[in-house]
Amino acid sequence: MNRIAKLAACVLAAVALAPAAPALAADQLHLYNWNNYIAPETIKRFEAQCKCEVVQTYYSDNEELLAKIAAGAKGYDVMVPTSNAVEALIRGKQLMPLDKSKLPNLKNIDKRYLDTSFDPGNTYSVPYAMSTTIIGYNDAKMKELGLPTDTWAVIFDPKYLAKVKGRVTVLDSANELFAAALKYLGYSANDVDPKHWDEAAAAIKKAKPYWAAFNASSYIKELTVGNIWLVHGYSNDIFQANLDAEAAKRPFHILQGMPKEGAVLAVDNMVLQKGAPRPDLGLAFMNFMLEGQNSSELTNLIGSGNPNTAALPFIKPEIRANPAIFPTPEVAAKLEQLKDLTAAQRRLRNRLWTEIKAR
Amino acid sequence: MRKRRITLAKVAAAFGYAFLYLPLVIVVVYSFNDSRLNAEWVGFTLNWYRTLFADDDMLVAARNSLVIGLCASAVSTVLGTMAGFAMHRWKTRVLPILVLTPIAIPEILVGVSLLIFFVLLNFTLGLVSVAIAHIAFCIGFVAIVVRARMAGMDESLTEAARDCGATPWQAFRYVTLPLIMPGVIAGALMAFTLSIDDFVITFFTAGAGTVTLPLQIYSMIKIAVTPEVNAVSTLLMLLTLLLIVIASRLSPSLLRSQESTP
Amino acid sequence: MATGAREAAQVRGKWLVSGPPILYLLVFFAAPTLIMAAASLRTPGEFGGLAPLVDEAGKLDLNFDSFARFFTEPVYLEVFVKSVIFATATTVLCLLIAYPLASVIATSPKRVRSLLLLLVILPFWSNFLIRIYAWMIILGPNAALARGVNGMLAWFGAGPVPLLFSSFAVLVCLVYVHLPFMVLPLYANLEKHDPALLDAAQDLGAHAWQRFWRITFPLSLPGVYAGAALVFIPALGIFAIPDLLGGPNDTLIGNLIKQQFLETRDWPFGSVLSIVLTVAALALAGLAAWFGQRATRARALVDA
Repeated sequence: MNRIAKLAACVLAAVALAPAAPALAADQLHLYNWNNYIAPETIKRFEAQCKCEVVQTYYSDNEELLAKIAAGAKGYDVMVPTSNAVEALIRGKQLMPLDKSKLPNLKNIDKRYLDTSFDPGNTYSVPYAMSTTIIGYNDAKMKELGLPTDTWAVIFDPKYLAKVKGRVTVLDSANELFAAALKYLGYSANDVDPKHWDEAAAAIKKAKPYWAAFNASSYIKELTVGNIWLVHGYSNDIFQANLDAEAAKRPFHILQGMPKEGAVLAVDNMVLQKGAPRPDLGLAFMNFMLEGQNSSELTNLIGSGNPNTAALPFIKPEIRANPAIFPTPEVAAKLEQLKDLTAAQRRLRNRLWTEIKAR
Repeated sequence: MRKRRITLAKVAAAFGYAFLYLPLVIVVVYSFNDSRLNAEWVGFTLNWYRTLFADDDMLVAARNSLVIGLCASAVSTVLGTMAGFAMHRWKTRVLPILVLTPIAIPEILVGVSLLIFFVLLNFTLGLVSVAIAHIAFCIGFVAIVVRARMAGMDESLTEAARDCGATPWQAFRYVTLPLIMPGVIAGALMAFTLSIDDFVITFFTAGAGTVTLPLQIYSMIKIAVTPEVNAVSTLLMLLTLLLIVIASRLSPSLLRSQESTP
Repeated sequence: MATGAREAAQVRGKWLVSGPPILYLLVFFAAPTLIMAAASLRTPGEFGGLAPLVDEAGKLDLNFDSFARFFTEPVYLEVFVKSVIFATATTVLCLLIAYPLASVIATSPKRVRSLLLLLVILPFWSNFLIRIYAWMIILGPNAALARGVNGMLAWFGAGPVPLLFSSFAVLVCLVYVHLPFMVLPLYANLEKHDPALLDAAQDLGAHAWQRFWRITFPLSLPGVYAGAALVFIPALGIFAIPDLLGGPNDTLIGNLIKQQFLETRDWPFGSVLSIVLTVAALALAGLAAWFGQRATRARALVDA
């Protein structure tokens, strides 16, 4: 027994000491962010500039963030929620107002994305990066089957779906799928009329037998490999899928299709958590990220949309020219940001969603 | 006759091992895959191992997972063995329910409720809060296995020891424990496995700077779970195997059950 | 004289041994869970979490609305039944695959026994996600397995079936993920079986199947029930596997519960679903244990 105890102690000590943990810096900025949502060079440059350490933890879903904050988790400085999550956080009084005097670079942001309905005057949030929820497709297969790629009908209309049965996935998100269905039917993505929701649910149920899965996590992989030919997905992911397909020298490209009926625009924002340990570092970070070149690095890395006008000169030309990432004004007019729903509306939507998925 | 029965079981067992290892072979092989995605074989490369050793975040996460796993399985094995022993010996009413419920309750509820609880107590979240949470749900697994092992055990040996003058602790330590050791080991292995792979509960109880391997990996789920994850998993498996082999060499009796010889 | 002291020592011993686990679980499990279970009586917060306990009028805001919802909307019960079916199938399949494995390990020579056991659990120290991704590769439409199966089906004139994104894929992965939790308890039990019993039976003329069915299996029942409990109960609440490779119809109760806490932000309802799931899981486990005890006792009476 004694030998075991000694051995256990040795093992634990060895494991605890190696690899050497980074030296405990007195100045730490706790950034709660999506994975791969900031370029490593950007972080390093900020750390050098502020002489501090950026400690990143990750979430992969706005709702995970909301649940954790609602349950009382503390210790984060900067978080990067999407607009509807920002709305929920503001109403739940979980954010700290921003000291605009420390954010001179805020003027770089395109006016269209400032002063939103959920955060008038940008009291709590500043835009960071954007993406749209659109159609992604295997260009060879779509050409071969003669299917349109600029309309939601290819996801919802059985006459198109019959040609790609079992090769289509849609996002496993009630908000996103209902928004797409509402757009397909010609309504606003933020329409809350229960009758319209019933219509949307009916459209989804009609198309469901042709879909392979409701999937938000592994669909990009399957698209890149060629098992899935058509997806309802996020523009960043589809951009990345194309890079991967090219790297693997596949005989097709993965392209982004912006539906003419319009789509959901997701703007991710930087916010400060109420009670953040280092709001000063948080504001310094935000100002740093509002600077043109720093902001451009993420776009060049993952093909995300960018609300920062000062970043445009630094963005790679092919990304700058991509209409799905930087939409033309006509298309931009049809993009909508999702609004948060009331508790009663969420309940109704959940009932509809459960019926769609269970039957 | 006997040979034939063993052969049929052995064939079935071989299929069982094949079933277990087919995905694992893919995991290990794909750690050398020259592609960002875990989807198709493209070419051979050692790049991902190089990336792994340069990736401090991933290494720290792996280290945290290992430390929490060892601690959680150690503590839950001790507490679980006590619970399993008590459940068998004294047939208590409350203990089985208390021990089984953490297994039955959905993880997300456990995670959220523990977070609320820790916040109420103003307990700083970090590695310790995660370990506490892991221990809570691992105890049940150990207890169930230990109790199953003790079922039908020959009590006469323990009683004989007591009659010879042994204290209850001595009777347990020198008679009962060696007899139930395979159950205890099985429970410890299960507890460790559960702990290093837990995501949901860890997500909610981890602090602002705490990362474990599942947290790190699941956050990659929507972008790409690169072969770096295969690499770290392969190494973690080998490391754990090594630790156990070393432990069993230093204490040969640990992994084998004692014969009940006079 | 000594008996009184001995009894007191017994009671002390009982509390010394069962005390620590009970205390730990009461503090770090029962208390937090009861807090959330109580949430099932609250109203959901407008923006997430829970509404204040005392509303503006100063009244205590407790109600059974969420419970009523569960019992008045049949779709939740349907999903629940589907989960029970999946979990049962998983348990049975795990038992069929795990029994030979555990039996072979338990009867193998001592020096290889621990190694064989470790080999069973080794794959599960790799990350869950990449194991599932490996299954996605194995079950993919262009992989050997799918092509083989669909080729055979085409031979019979039947259309191709998707192996991935289907209930089949979900079941395969459920079985895979839970297998060690059936193997380990079975092994722990089978390991102590006395081979002399089987030898004696063989000498008396029993052939292989009889030896197994009338001696080994009944003796292993506690291990079977332990393994079944440790597979069925967690399998009932799982959500990650349907999320990753389930078809459009493969939503289980675990997915619904996750949705309540995340997308819908309706914690009270999530709490209700969790309570129903837990109570059902424990009840089914208790029922199985009770039947098992009756069967063992009945058999003992018959064989005696």
